[in-house]
Amino acid sequence: MTALLSVEGLAAGYGGALAVRGLDFAVAEGSIAVLVGANGAGKTTTVQVIAGALRPSGGTVRFAGEAVTGRDCPVMVERGVTLVPEGRLIFSRMTVEENLKMGAINRRAARNLGRNLERVFTLFPRLAQRRHQFGGSMSGGEQQMLAIARGLMAEPRLMILDEPSLGLAPKIVAEMFGLIRQLNVEGITILLVEQNVRQSLQLADQAFVIEKGRVVLSGDGPTLLDEPFVRTAFLGL
Amino acid sequence: MARTLLVVVLALLLFAALATLPLFLKAFYIRVGLSIFLSAGFAVCWWLLAGFTAYYSFGHTAFVGVGAFAAALTLRAVAAAAPGLQLAAGLLAGLVTAAVIAAAIAWPILRLRGHYFTIAMLAVALVLGEAVSAFPVFGGSAGLSLPNIAPSGMRVEAFFYWLALALLAIVMAIAWIISRSRLGYGLAAIREDEDAAQMLGVPTTRFKVVAFVLSGGLTGALGAVYALNLGYITTDSVFRGSLSLEMIVNSLVGGMGSLLGPVIGAAIMTGVTKLVLADLLEYHLAITGLLIVAVVLVAPDGVAGLWRRTRR
Amino acid sequence: MITLLQTLVNGVLYGGILSIAAVGFSLIFGVMNVINLAHGIFVIGGAYGALVAWSTLGIDPLASIPPLMLIAFILGWLCQRLVIQPAVQRGNPVAALLVTFGFTLVALNLLTVAFSSSVRSISPSYSFINLRLGDVSFDLVRLVAFACGLLLIGGLGSFLRFSRWGRIIRATALSELGARLCGVDARAVYALTFAVGSAFAAASGVLIGMMLPFTPAEEVTWTVYAFIVVTLGGVGSLGGAMLGGVLLGLVSALTQTYLGGVFTNMVMFLILLGTLLLRPNGILGSAFKASR
Repeated sequence: MTALLSVEGLAAGYGGALAVRGLDFAVAEGSIAVLVGANGAGKTTTVQVIAGALRPSGGTVRFAGEAVTGRDCPVMVERGVTLVPEGRLIFSRMTVEENLKMGAINRRAARNLGRNLERVFTLFPRLAQRRHQFGGSMSGGEQQMLAIARGLMAEPRLMILDEPSLGLAPKIVAEMFGLIRQLNVEGITILLVEQNVRQSLQLADQAFVIEKGRVVLSGDGPTLLDEPFVRTAFLGL
Repeated sequence: MARTLLVVVLALLLFAALATLPLFLKAFYIRVGLSIFLSAGFAVCWWLLAGFTAYYSFGHTAFVGVGAFAAALTLRAVAAAAPGLQLAAGLLAGLVTAAVIAAAIAWPILRLRGHYFTIAMLAVALVLGEAVSAFPVFGGSAGLSLPNIAPSGMRVEAFFYWLALALLAIVMAIAWIISRSRLGYGLAAIREDEDAAQMLGVPTTRFKVVAFVLSGGLTGALGAVYALNLGYITTDSVFRGSLSLEMIVNSLVGGMGSLLGPVIGAAIMTGVTKLVLADLLEYHLAITGLLIVAVVLVAPDGVAGLWRRTRR
Repeated sequence: MITLLQTLVNGVLYGGILSIAAVGFSLIFGVMNVINLAHGIFVIGGAYGALVAWSTLGIDPLASIPPLMLIAFILGWLCQRLVIQPAVQRGNPVAALLVTFGFTLVALNLLTVAFSSSVRSISPSYSFINLRLGDVSFDLVRLVAFACGLLLIGGLGSFLRFSRWGRIIRATALSELGARLCGVDARAVYALTFAVGSAFAAASGVLIGMMLPFTPAEEVTWTVYAFIVVTLGGVGSLGGAMLGGVLLGLVSALTQTYLGGVFTNMVMFLILLGTLLLRPNGILGSAFKASR
């Protein structure tokens, strides 16, 4: 399988301090890839660079065979990269439907707005019920679903999810991991950033452990689950 | 330690050199120097609050106005006293009244942050200005005149030149001492992250109030000098939005990062206005405006910041 | 009783004008978090634009609103792209405010050179007509200006509520990063917002020019009034701007009638200060921006 996304020698950070330096990894088309690492390891910085929200200070990002380093968000969304950000960043004082419409503002997805709305509402019946309610008035789990649904409206080839399970009840987390698998089966390549290491590694075709801005360990999910380092550092075993 | 001594000695030498200038200069240039010192003094006073804590006041002219009117009314009461005594009384009145008013509004107003503090200070200045012109006791709408307190035999402009220079030196010394004190470090912590500072045990409210009252009081003292130099004040001349703006502009043009910034900014802006633009009165505003835009875009950390950057 | 009624009517009519004169400022503040000191100059610029159209071409001030809005839109767009956006990118919140001040000085200077600093007014044929309803009299001009103001605010409200770009503007105000990740070019949104805000400022200037005499230096007044209206009603909310405007208009009219003209400004500024201290987010809070 060829790599849909590859990152080589990436360096990036906010205001002088580099959170990421010399990061390399590649995500195969059609797979579920997981980035795990402690707080402050540089995961969020990495995915923000890939999505075009943050300009890197070095390295290259390739998507579908083309160098896209430092391209802006609108370009990346148009190409098919969508980031569902940490903290969701839904539009709290806009209705669910308006939020979803915002997800489809790129030219490619705008053409299929009606069809995609229907698809998303079938996938998330809760959102269909709350269609005219303010996004901010819903529960945390529903807001996370809205954030993912908004991402889907952009018709991504690669969907990046940054800490989607943060602050959610275990039952909802399980539901969400099921959903991620389903999206992957439907053909969307997934890059998942998670602190919920056990559940996400069980899901992963490829996994990368990041420490201090570099990949220190990689392999498929189940293999990494047996790694002594992963067991002591993340699973508390 | 040796470096501190060096800074003090150099500063003293510089001020001494500046103090001798009136002996050689023409009256016009002495007045330019006087304007620079006054606006530099105002800018440093404003910077005492904004530079340390990032609380950007938009209404410091309130303290200029209060200081000016307090001085004028006090001088009226002590008209019979010796000129030296009158000067001391006026300065003290300006300082104390402005400081008292600052202290009175400090607690409620310093609860506000960001733009809200900025706007609230604008409102304070507007309310005080309107009050001074609405109530006849202050004589604000008709104006008040102040006596000439320059010692006989001394040129008036030279006298005010020295007075303004001395006050500038005092204000800068106070700011410098604060920047090296516990208060200064606490204020810097507030600037970086007020909530974090509070959690680390910085008494944020008390520190902010101290900085605010000092800033306001010193502005009031300078306001008294400003009024004495004008000789005749009205609401419009001392409660003037453009005075507040000049303090901000001078500090930003010079650079917010250090105490020298506001002084450099005042020297540049006032110097350019008085010397270069004196013959271009009609387009004076436009050129000032372009200068502000250019500085913000080309030298975001001010002229002092630009200098630091090129040295690196 | 009649005095009170008349005062209330005057207050509401004046308040409508204050509202429309503040919506542009409110939009820019709410979406971009920039205090636009150039607001008043766009207002006064609109008044002078209408004056030129009326005195040289004989165009009715109301008819000059659309073309003047277009001109202000373009000027606002350029001003944002060339001057304000670069300052915003410096990251210093005061940098943006300062460049709007610099821009104001330049514009004020040009206006003064072009029109002198003397007082001007626009008086179309219907300016001196008075309507009576019982014992209460209405200035026709004020009534027309009030209606136009409501129409404009309604138009802006529908644009923000129902149009695609309106939605994008609101989303960007709520979460800039969230909007960018949807593929929004935030810089384009800010330019559009500033342009729309400027256009509405100019439109309000035409209405003001029909009712009140003006000079270039009046720009300060309108920036300050916009400040007060927005602080009273809440940043970035059109309903807030309307409520704030009407309240301020009532306060101004009541003070003038019962306390005297010297106190109107003082009372207005006191209300600004009081609102800030008691309810810093305004009476209605913010419609599409979480409080900062």
